[in-house]
Amino acid sequence: MAERVMGRINNILPQSFVDGPGNRSVIFLQGCQFNCLYCHNPYTINDCNACGICVESCPVGALSLDGNLVLWDEVKCVDCDTCIDVCPNSSSPKIRNQTPEATWEVIQNFTPFISGLTVTGGEPACQPEYLSDLLKLVKAQSNLTTCIETNGGVDSEVMESLLPNLDYVMVDLKAFDPEIHLALTGHENTKTLETIRQVAAVGKLHMVRTTIVPGYTDGESQIADIARFLVDLNPEIHFRLLRFRSHGTRGIAATWESPSDAVMDRLVETAKKAGLVNVDQSL
Amino acid sequence: MTQTKIAYPFEHLENGMQAEDLENFKDQVRSFVADPMLLEEQKRVAMMDAAYKTLPYPPVSGAALDTLGQGVICLLGEGPAPYHPRYVAPDYQKVLDEGSEFFNLQPATNLYEAVTNLLTLYNYSPTSGDPPYIGNLDLLLEPFVRDLPMEAARPVLKSFWTLIDRLHPDAFVHADIGPEATRTGEMLLDIDHEAGTITNLTLRYDPEKTPREFALKAVRNALQLSKPYFLNHPQHLADWGPDYIIASCYNIMWLRGGIFTLVRLNLAEAASHFDGNLDQLLNDELPRLAALQVEVMNSRIQHLVEEVGWFEHSIFVKEGLLDPEKFSAYAGVVGLNELVNEMMVRSGKPEAKYGHDKEANDVAVQIISRLKQELSKHPSTYCKGTGERVVFHAQVGISEDQGATPGCRLPAGTEPEIYTHLQATAPIQALVEGGVSDIFEFDQTARQNPEAVLDIINGAMKLGMRDISIGSNDSEFVRVSGYLVRRSDLENRQEEQLLRYGTAEIAREFFTAQPNTLHRRTRQV
Repeated sequence: MAERVMGRINNILPQSFVDGPGNRSVIFLQGCQFNCLYCHNPYTINDCNACGICVESCPVGALSLDGNLVLWDEVKCVDCDTCIDVCPNSSSPKIRNQTPEATWEVIQNFTPFISGLTVTGGEPACQPEYLSDLLKLVKAQSNLTTCIETNGGVDSEVMESLLPNLDYVMVDLKAFDPEIHLALTGHENTKTLETIRQVAAVGKLHMVRTTIVPGYTDGESQIADIARFLVDLNPEIHFRLLRFRSHGTRGIAATWESPSDAVMDRLVETAKKAGLVNVDQSL
Repeated sequence: MTQTKIAYPFEHLENGMQAEDLENFKDQVRSFVADPMLLEEQKRVAMMDAAYKTLPYPPVSGAALDTLGQGVICLLGEGPAPYHPRYVAPDYQKVLDEGSEFFNLQPATNLYEAVTNLLTLYNYSPTSGDPPYIGNLDLLLEPFVRDLPMEAARPVLKSFWTLIDRLHPDAFVHADIGPEATRTGEMLLDIDHEAGTITNLTLRYDPEKTPREFALKAVRNALQLSKPYFLNHPQHLADWGPDYIIASCYNIMWLRGGIFTLVRLNLAEAASHFDGNLDQLLNDELPRLAALQVEVMNSRIQHLVEEVGWFEHSIFVKEGLLDPEKFSAYAGVVGLNELVNEMMVRSGKPEAKYGHDKEANDVAVQIISRLKQELSKHPSTYCKGTGERVVFHAQVGISEDQGATPGCRLPAGTEPEIYTHLQATAPIQALVEGGVSDIFEFDQTARQNPEAVLDIINGAMKLGMRDISIGSNDSEFVRVSGYLVRRSDLENRQEEQLLRYGTAEIAREFFTAQPNTLHRRTRQV
């Protein structure tokens, strides 16, 4: 029997109301190709490089170093997150390596209460084999809907292979202006824009979200550009503006202010004026 | 108008008021006469209540008197010898179809006449004041609404809905809707969303029959108003058949029937007056208490039926709006949480808490199953509607209930994560066929995803939950125990303003005595 592909899983959330339609269980995969200044879960960006710094700092001895692996004792762990705070590598030692079947077994505990499953991260498409197998399995074994939240910086062939087993795709478009996108994420947005086109074309684009960051994405022209881009694809695309919050961020972003209500309201209006029908902001 | 909870120093269980209490009695009446915080009608009700409380209780055994004195069995402010049933569910369809000779009403031929007949009947509710059940309003009114254009029907329905609240400002006044969507049901939900009245409301929800859009509209309302309740219709249909209704809060009974009395067993108090282990509780103490509870209930029912002659004299019975064959009575239970946790302490497992621990949850099921089984052993002759047996009901508390968690619920503020919560309490709810409910409050994010709330409701029903109340932590309406109060009315009462709502006063007392009840876990989603 061929060895099963393993997923690297940061966390499984039984319940979420903000990751797609209805109540959904959410799987956070470890690893992201972007390196956003304001990442809200920076400990999901990189894989652990076994530097061992967290092992020293764990107050309850739940971590140990075994060659080039940090071992995590879930029973001893008190979830204080000291390991995550001290990690110099934007990672976490609390990662589960799991087959799609094992993940599905966990999700089945929640099936009476959920419409579906959302895979996020990190960037879910950074683990395409595991993701693809998991989605296939969920579709074969249940009536749950499937969704991914992606930054869109994905090769179109990868997205093409995932789409048959996906009901919804939520794309985070960090910025429309290539320079600003580069400054915020370290990457260009060409692939992200292409992903939005590709997913919209098959009617599976559930939502496009942009975080409003003062000084970066709070300009009216920024939002109008995104809105016009989306209107060309389909004026009914759901566009949600997320208010930047410093909670969870590190480095420079921790010092940034949140945009005001007035700014958020004005930008929603801007997007609507450009011809988008479904525009809102996160509560 | 609902009576406010007042201590009566002259009240005497066995013999009624004694001669030496006369001055106390006069003082109390004087205090009502001059109370600047009461409207005239509220004064009248208070004085009437004081007079009523001078009577003795129907005779019961010494053992029953002891448990009443300990507060293990509790009469829930019903007063001594009842002169009316606690709840009734009149056949409003009959008064729409046939009119009523006594009430001088003609058969309704249009929407105006229909609401006139209903409002008239509400005014004569043969209970403590306001009508605890005002009908399956969508089914009753749909024939009159069906052929009217929206602009003709809606103002009448809005006026009707407003009048119910203004004429009967009591949060125990309850309407039913569903399970199917109707134009009337849709309009009533929209009107309630707009008007935000205190009138209680339940959607009889059937995932198969209730259209999704209608259910989502109800969720939208619940996140703003903390109502309607979502009642598991298939489950109640299976237990009761099609003629069940919901009155007051989440109280299940027959249409054309009623509930004579609600007598409560306070399991938290029971724990403190009993020092045995779990086996002794299940095999000796619960059987003993169940027998006493039915004894107290029967004494009250017999008084009402035999001494008062209620069925013989009731105009509602004469007019065919109520049927003696459909009546029953509630054996209520409160404080399951405390009894379970105390039993776990006595088993040497103080860490095992109800709602959080499988073994504790199993003990809860054992207690409730046993109690139900014991209650069913004792005949109650006049409970003809339920096979001459009393009906099991989870009562959710009054302000005096220090240290007794409402009904079979988990204490506010210490609830586990929502799936665990539902999985722990669903097997208990499934056992309580006479009314049981639980409350879940979400943060405001839920408003952007009502489908998600419906997913939770659907999951809860699959597990066997009977009735749940959904709310939002920033709503103007708070579900106190089974009824609603406006936050602003709670605040006004703190500032000593007059209030139209009697229930706002009991809510204030409730929250003053048990402030933690306001701090339910907000489900961060």
